[in-house]
Amino acid sequence: MTATPLLKVTDLAIEFSTPQGRVRAVDGISFDVYENETLGIVGESGCGKTVTGLSLLGLIPSPPGRIAAGSIELAGRNLAKLDEAAMREVRGGEISMIFQEPMTALNPVFTVASQMTDVIIRHKGLTRAQARREAIDMLGKVGIPAPARRLDDYPHQMSGGMRQRVMIAMALACGPKLLVADEPTTALDVTTQAQVIELIGQLQREFRMAVILITHDLGVVAETCQRALVMYCGRIAEQAQIEPLFRSPRHPYTHGLLDSIPRIRDQRLTQLPTIAGRVPDLLNLPPGCRFADRCTRAQEDCRTAEPELTQAGQSAFACYHPIGHQPAEPVA
Amino acid sequence: MNAQPPASDTIAAPPERRESLWTKAAYKFRRDRVGVWSLAVVLVYMAIALGVVFGWWATSWAELEGGKWEPPSAEHWFGTNIIGQDIFDRAIYSTRTSFEVGLVVAILATALGAVLGALAGFFSGSWTDEIILWFMGVLDSIPFILFVAAIAYSLGDTPYAMHVAMISTFWITAGRLVRGEVIKLRGQEYVEAAHAIGVPELTIIFRHVLPNTSHILLVQATITFVAAIKSEVILSFLGIGVKDGMSWGLMIAESTQEVLAGFFNNFLAASVLLFGLVMAFNLFSDALQDALDPRTVAES
Amino acid sequence: MSEAAPLLQVDGLRKYFPVRGGLFRRVVAQVRAVDDVTLQLRRGQTFGLVGESGCGKSTLGRSIIRLQEPTGGRVLLDGTDITRLGRQALLPYRRRMQMIFQDPYASLSPRRTVAQTLREPLDIHQIGTPKEREHQVSQLLDVVGMSARVLNRYPHEFSGGQRQRIGIARALSLKPDLIVADEPVSALDVSVQSQILNLIADLQREHGIAFLFIAHDLAVIQHVSDVVGVMYLGKLVEVADATALYSSPKHPYTRALMSAIPQPEPGSGRQRIMLEGDVPSPMNPPSGCPFHTRCPDAMAKCAELTPQFTNLGSERSPHAVSCHLYGHDS
Repeated sequence: MTATPLLKVTDLAIEFSTPQGRVRAVDGISFDVYENETLGIVGESGCGKTVTGLSLLGLIPSPPGRIAAGSIELAGRNLAKLDEAAMREVRGGEISMIFQEPMTALNPVFTVASQMTDVIIRHKGLTRAQARREAIDMLGKVGIPAPARRLDDYPHQMSGGMRQRVMIAMALACGPKLLVADEPTTALDVTTQAQVIELIGQLQREFRMAVILITHDLGVVAETCQRALVMYCGRIAEQAQIEPLFRSPRHPYTHGLLDSIPRIRDQRLTQLPTIAGRVPDLLNLPPGCRFADRCTRAQEDCRTAEPELTQAGQSAFACYHPIGHQPAEPVA
Repeated sequence: MNAQPPASDTIAAPPERRESLWTKAAYKFRRDRVGVWSLAVVLVYMAIALGVVFGWWATSWAELEGGKWEPPSAEHWFGTNIIGQDIFDRAIYSTRTSFEVGLVVAILATALGAVLGALAGFFSGSWTDEIILWFMGVLDSIPFILFVAAIAYSLGDTPYAMHVAMISTFWITAGRLVRGEVIKLRGQEYVEAAHAIGVPELTIIFRHVLPNTSHILLVQATITFVAAIKSEVILSFLGIGVKDGMSWGLMIAESTQEVLAGFFNNFLAASVLLFGLVMAFNLFSDALQDALDPRTVAES
Repeated sequence: MSEAAPLLQVDGLRKYFPVRGGLFRRVVAQVRAVDDVTLQLRRGQTFGLVGESGCGKSTLGRSIIRLQEPTGGRVLLDGTDITRLGRQALLPYRRRMQMIFQDPYASLSPRRTVAQTLREPLDIHQIGTPKEREHQVSQLLDVVGMSARVLNRYPHEFSGGQRQRIGIARALSLKPDLIVADEPVSALDVSVQSQILNLIADLQREHGIAFLFIAHDLAVIQHVSDVVGVMYLGKLVEVADATALYSSPKHPYTRALMSAIPQPEPGSGRQRIMLEGDVPSPMNPPSGCPFHTRCPDAMAKCAELTPQFTNLGSERSPHAVSCHLYGHDS
């Protein structure tokens, strides 16, 4: 990729203060997002993927949270330094977000029409009538039948899949350059999920925007993204194009995660592969690699110093003893 | 990053975290400066009230110790009233009355509200619920002063008519709150689990449901406490509250004559002390509510 | 324990929820959450029940163990109809059927310690002496892979996976014959999900407990089930042995459900059967076959005639489908 990235996140760290002390939910991650690409951020709950997404829109609840270090550059502008008023311009304009539970993100006492036209009027400066026409147009694009009629519905009058479509329509109403989608299909049924995944992909191509898809579901990532980061405990474990990431994962965590997904197999297994143990407490991280205690390949060096994310071949990974690689000669 | 991870700041916590919902709330409360100060003021009042109970001070509140309307002096800090009683002693003694009424009413009204509210909520839609709701509606619709007067009249000369009247009306708010919360909680999976095990319904209510409303009850008790103190003052002022004792309400009633004559000590002593306690308790109650509200708990 | 007498026999079970409205709160409609479901479960067998949200699978599970009162039909546990038993008469049967819940954050009483939670069933059914109960509680934790040191802790001190283990220990405490597991892993992280699925599969093998395993995820169901039933709008539409169902799904809905699962294999290039629209409201289900409004293979008669079950399998291993594609009535 030779183009300059649309979004450049460098050494981002996000801290939360808790009764027990400060916790780094995200601890020094860097990644780029290019125009017209879909980047997946995968990980289990508590790995920092949602917080990362929220930080891109300046939505970290503060207090207790704050961006402790690093920069978030969108087309050359550092969003981490913007004040709330400037951020509000960016939000819904250049960057939009859709959430897991559309019912909580839509205001139940306003119609879809008033919520959508408000956004359009604020960011595009149109009249109410023009904004309404745009809203109808958008709802049509996200596949809502009879959009002119549905526009005056209240959110509770719609099904879950329909509401998620409305959320998407609202997020895209102002033609954002970047869409952050946080578990957009997790609350939906499989058949509806398939529809929404299809829709996001189709709209991404149509609007030529960048999409960051945050999810725990590797299946969704495989079907929608070109590239993905795997996060663990606030850090990036592995980052690669989808093909190498799924075909030959290098980080043992990525491998374990891929292995443990329940998938339809030809033969029922007596034991599903698992990752032993559980995610360490962010307040009480082990020295060295954060995955070491659960890792089958861990050795002495893993427990002393934390591995850095390094590029090797097609992937970047933070591991001393990656899969598919003979252990390196000890450096004298 | 160096070989040595930056250990000190992130690993400060003890290895085994034992935080309960209460310690979390205590943490939040401690960070609320207004809340801590208001609690300190309330505790000072409480110490004064306890001192009266143990007879450490204000023992001579009823004695005639001086002349009529003496100005403040070293002997009588707030001066004396029309018949020469020490206003400071009487104001201090009234603190005990306030606390006694406040505590009794707050505890009993909240407990009654909790039990009836929980029953109504758990069996919502059934006749138990209907009856309790009907009771709430009826009691709520009787004008309060009239109700106290009626109870005072029917109970004869007891000093507790005021308490009975307050408890039988103040439980309603607690009852409504608990009923709503219980309706929400009874659909929880742990309640279903108890059903599946075969736990009897009343046991489910008191063992599994009601304890989870304790944060609501605690806040409601503090609100009831303030309401009871204020009502006691008004009722005593009207002559249907404290009968044989001393209360800020009685002092204010006394002072109606005095204020016309230009003597404000009685009135000021009672109303300033009342204001201080009510204000402090209200602020404390607000802070407590914030601290116990799970929605304001910082996610970690 | 013969072949002929299954542990659980559900006959034409129905659960309707009244919808009240108007001035006098009259019943204006019925939500047919479970509509005429028949199934059976042998001892030690696992029946996987799969369907999308709102299809009535949870209600079915809860109606079977009487957490909800069925509107009609029968549930026979070892030959006894338990649908009409009173509280006291039901108590011994409660002991034999337990439940594992979906949300590990809601299924444990927040203000009760692990020990209190696990002891309660033993106390209620007066199993053993108090001393034995104490011992048994520690043993239960051991069975689900937890240390007895956590006995005096409260639920919020645990992770989702650990809470789910405690919930499983509670269900096991009464040594039930049947456990209804309602989406027991859907709220868990992937790596924890497989741990819990393995635990359930182990328990089933070692203790011979029959499971009614409810999930929306066909992949999860496959790992634990002997027999699988697919539910749509309150009705079963296909029931078969797991191997048969996964190797050759018959009902168009089952096929769509299978193809909709996102696969963690990039460029797998499968042809996805995309269903149009949403599930219709169970308050007003479509006429004829409930699936005909979304079915890619719908014919004219699907809107008129309710399909009956046809056995496409053998006598020994039935494969029942309720679809006009396979009817032999023409």
